[in-house]
Amino acid sequence: MAMVQEAPKPKLHLLAELQGHSDRAWHLAWNPCLPILASCSTDKDVRLHSYSFPSSSSSSSSSPSNDPSTSANSTPVFNLREVIPTGHKRTVRQVAWSPSGKTLATASFDSTVGIWERIEDIDANTVPISSPGSYQNGFQGSLKSSSLAANSNAAKRDDEPEWDCIGTLEGHESECKSVAFSHTGSVLASCSRDKSVWIWEVQPDAEFECLSVLMEHSQDVKVVAWHPKDEILASASYDDAIKLYIDDPSDDWFCFSTLTGHTSTVWSLSFSPCGNFLASASDDRTVRLWRRLSAEECAERNMQVEGKMPGRKGEKWVCVSVLKSWHSRTIYSVSWGFDASEREGNLGRIATAGGDGKICVFEISRDPDVTKLAPITKLAAQIESAHGVSDVNCVSWAPARLSDNPEDENGENSIEELDDEGHPLNRSRLKGSLAGDHDMCDLLASAGDDGTIKVWVLPTSKYAAESSSN
Amino acid sequence: QIEEKIDSQEIFDLIRSITDPEHPLTLEQLAVVDSSYIKVTNNPDRSKQSHVLLEFQPTIPHCSMATLIGLSLRVRLLRSLPSRFKVDIRVREGSHQSENAVNKQLNDKERVAAALENSHLLGVVQGCLSSASRRG
Repeated sequence: MAMVQEAPKPKLHLLAELQGHSDRAWHLAWNPCLPILASCSTDKDVRLHSYSFPSSSSSSSSSPSNDPSTSANSTPVFNLREVIPTGHKRTVRQVAWSPSGKTLATASFDSTVGIWERIEDIDANTVPISSPGSYQNGFQGSLKSSSLAANSNAAKRDDEPEWDCIGTLEGHESECKSVAFSHTGSVLASCSRDKSVWIWEVQPDAEFECLSVLMEHSQDVKVVAWHPKDEILASASYDDAIKLYIDDPSDDWFCFSTLTGHTSTVWSLSFSPCGNFLASASDDRTVRLWRRLSAEECAERNMQVEGKMPGRKGEKWVCVSVLKSWHSRTIYSVSWGFDASEREGNLGRIATAGGDGKICVFEISRDPDVTKLAPITKLAAQIESAHGVSDVNCVSWAPARLSDNPEDENGENSIEELDDEGHPLNRSRLKGSLAGDHDMCDLLASAGDDGTIKVWVLPTSKYAAESSSN
Repeated sequence: QIEEKIDSQEIFDLIRSITDPEHPLTLEQLAVVDSSYIKVTNNPDRSKQSHVLLEFQPTIPHCSMATLIGLSLRVRLLRSLPSRFKVDIRVREGSHQSENAVNKQLNDKERVAAALENSHLLGVVQGCLSSASRRG
């Protein structure tokens, strides 16, 4: 009697386990410019971990090796950098970094948003780094050489806090659920159980002005997420809908589209790196992929555009895929990241995680048949019981590279040009930046109800072979 | 490691003596809970998740205390059951006029967590739970 055996699915490989939160870890965020990972918890702390790619050669630690043959394959190492007791009166639900990496926002159940910066940046003490280019000193800007520059892998020199609260955004009437900076860093969005989405302008001297209060959802708003290239905001809610907003410069921010289809609360949103797709995760145990149709594509299909206004042709977002049967309980988080590998029609990778304790990673590709709007999704790896018996609340891909020219808040520094696949047009920029030959986009972090943060890679990653753990 | 299996009777014993928020009677005395309303899926070896589906019957269809009772049930199980159990709590089908709305709130982990950070609400829940260990 033949038994049909399912081929075992490749397992995600554990690189690091970061303990310390004394209660559920809700969320995490990778700093886009500095080698720092932030996490937040019901314990009201934000924990910052530094990471580096130490050389595996035997040269002394004072002269870090830039030789790709020794440092390129070394597994990243994570160390606790700082515990920020935020002073929030309740759970810290989400953390978000500004595109410059210099500002951190915290969204709390106490209904406020905290804004944090490094004390030395607040003091405007600018000392240019003298030796740019080596991977441990790979970032410039207003940094004191004694701190991050010296050895990003070490804990801070002293026990003094590095980050301080520079302001609190008040206004929401009940728990704040999410906060996010736009891709230029010029605006910030927050949302709450009070059903509203607030848009704040980021001004110099840590001033934040409320530009708009949007009351479009009929229920608790769970998450806000910004488009990676355009100033489009997405929100998702307990009312099962997703809404998209843009700014009408002559008037106000407004909702130009509502995406329905999920049959229960939508918990998480992630735009694809190319900006043509949006992934949503729901309590209905599915992930939906939505595709942006341009005005031309709408015309071809006799569809009405949305969001048309002077200077804007309009677009329409349509559901092109439903990923179901991968999770047996609520999916709390979805993250769409870069995939540096050379494969046909590469649109990146999607990670999902939820109450079933499972993390799944899918490779996403354009369908070679251009008449098919849905991308091809293929399971690349998964791991069950990622956090033991605990729910997984958040998954997030590391940035493809850490920007070595942090943008200022007005986006005046150059923004790296990306092609449609989300790959940098100028590939040589990868060398010499902090990431160097490191496959940063291989790293996937997760946060669980057990209070831990874990860092994973696909079994095909060079770090899976190098790492001695697991 | 293998943990003990838990059955619906044991779970019933955990919740039967929870006091109703409005009346000085237990949920068992008011027939709000019953062991037949509890379904347990045990997987002590952790090859799959262990699961509890707990249903309860509010005394009247427009009972305004339904979410509070549900919250008390959830807290009781959170504190008493091994952490491997995933718990879903619902009102018995047809027993409440806002069945879907009540169920959705009771099973939204974030809403439950935020509610329990409200000290007043937590105090009321603690009051309902003060009798819980009497077990009938």
